[in-house]
Amino acid sequence: MPTPSPARIHDFTVVTNEPIAQDIYALRIAAPELARRLEPGQFLNLAVPGNAMSLLRIPLSFAAADPDEGTIDIWYAVVGEGTERLAQMQPGATSTVLGPGGHGWTVPEGCTRALLVAGGIGVPPVLCLARQLGAAGIPFDVCIGAATASALVGADAFKDAGAGAVLLATDDGSLGHYGFCTVPAEQLLRDADRHYDYVATCGPEPMMAKIAALAEEAAASCEASVERMMSCGFGACATCAVETVHGMKGACMCGPVFDAQEVVW
Amino acid sequence: MSTVDMAVDFAGMKLKNPINTASGTFGFGWQFQNFFDVSRLGAITTKGSAAEPWPGNPKPRMTEVRGGMMNSVGLQNPGVRGMVEESGEYLADLASKGTAVICQVAGHSTEEYVAALELFEELCPWASAFELNVSCPNIAAGGAACGSTPEGAAEVMRACRPITKRPLLVKMAPVRLPEIARALEAEGADGLTVINSIPGMAIDVHTRRSKLSKPTGGLSGPLLHPIAVRMVWEVCQAVDIPVCGVGGVMTGEDAAEFILAGASVVSVGMASFAEPDAASRILDELEAWAASQGVSHISELIGAFEC
Repeated sequence: MPTPSPARIHDFTVVTNEPIAQDIYALRIAAPELARRLEPGQFLNLAVPGNAMSLLRIPLSFAAADPDEGTIDIWYAVVGEGTERLAQMQPGATSTVLGPGGHGWTVPEGCTRALLVAGGIGVPPVLCLARQLGAAGIPFDVCIGAATASALVGADAFKDAGAGAVLLATDDGSLGHYGFCTVPAEQLLRDADRHYDYVATCGPEPMMAKIAALAEEAAASCEASVERMMSCGFGACATCAVETVHGMKGACMCGPVFDAQEVVW
Repeated sequence: MSTVDMAVDFAGMKLKNPINTASGTFGFGWQFQNFFDVSRLGAITTKGSAAEPWPGNPKPRMTEVRGGMMNSVGLQNPGVRGMVEESGEYLADLASKGTAVICQVAGHSTEEYVAALELFEELCPWASAFELNVSCPNIAAGGAACGSTPEGAAEVMRACRPITKRPLLVKMAPVRLPEIARALEAEGADGLTVINSIPGMAIDVHTRRSKLSKPTGGLSGPLLHPIAVRMVWEVCQAVDIPVCGVGGVMTGEDAAEFILAGASVVSVGMASFAEPDAASRILDELEAWAASQGVSHISELIGAFEC
């Protein structure tokens, strides 16, 4: 039989839950056992109390896990009724979280320089990877895109993680490059002095498709973390399908991080 | 310490208790093994599988709605051979522990149901029963297109009946239930699973597009539980073969409603997504309810609804 999901049900307690940007919150939960088991790029599935008519968990990435403190940092965008409810959870509130879900990033053996490209609320799983690269002493540069300056998160955190260049882009030009972050990413990938052998990306699918194509051109391997609506998060419902060159694969078990060249964008 | 004998007879099978799982909500069982001891359950019903693998529908395949969800998975499955290769060993072991393994059979046409069932019959000696899914709302041919008339459902049953001596169940669409149930009984069905998800629509009013990759999808969850209870009751009035009730069971009391309406067995569906061990909890709650009714066998409560 295939390997079942590593996910289990864990209790959690809200430590803090505050806005950090326009419609983006930073949630810190205490879930000690889970915090020790998480790998960068995996995901969590939170039960958010407060609406008896809403029955499914909310799948979310995470920005950091501290195994010593037993805490997990989750940055989430408030996009609908469920995340509005999550934003109402106060410190001390409790619920359950199902995780860890899926598998995370696989930095290639012998990686000498990486480029990380994050769009919108795609920042958290990429930031988690950045800390891993920083700790391993692998140089990396970052491109972050957002709709507008007030919705852009993570720039300082990437620098703290040890990033070389951190290039910003906003759709409205209010910060950094005026346009998509694929433009600075393309400049970096075509810079003859920077030889990236690994590119990691998370954000809107058209952005990730463009980054995957640019990485292929630059002969760098590329991984992408995809987002899907999902019912269960542990391989039972077949709702989170991702079309790949090897057929449909579930984001919850085969992802959420995929080889970007395998995904049919 | 159990005070109630929870064993039930269902379509020629002896189940240790009436709790089953709805096809499509429980994978092939092993996905849940780390959350609870699946062999506690009376039965599981596996994801519908066809003679050949199906890719299923494009994304998005799921949207949550108030009190339930809608899906458009389109019966993605690894095919019977792939299913046996991946999950056969686990399912054989589960069956050896006394949990009935009901394999759901998918097809686009009568010929495809026959082809799939022939493979199941040959490759799955451990299967306790087979469930013909003539009611999937998310595929262009087969599914509900086959099972929404007495003639169509009867044609599939007539073609499949000679293939196996094991119990043959039929997962029914939520339409014309009493007459289709009678047609299936006449063709030799051993039991009926009532109901499949109900076709629904969810529109994103900002983009004016469907929230799924197709205009319609299958609605499921507790919002349709009272409809499912009514349909189970109607089918139980119409036929003598046993019924498995499915639809929005979140608690033991929800399961008890199906039992009282006449179902011998109850499947847990959507509840397993957010709470993977829901079926185990619901079994405990159903047993506590049966005990509160003062019976020694839960089977005494089947159809005990008083109007």
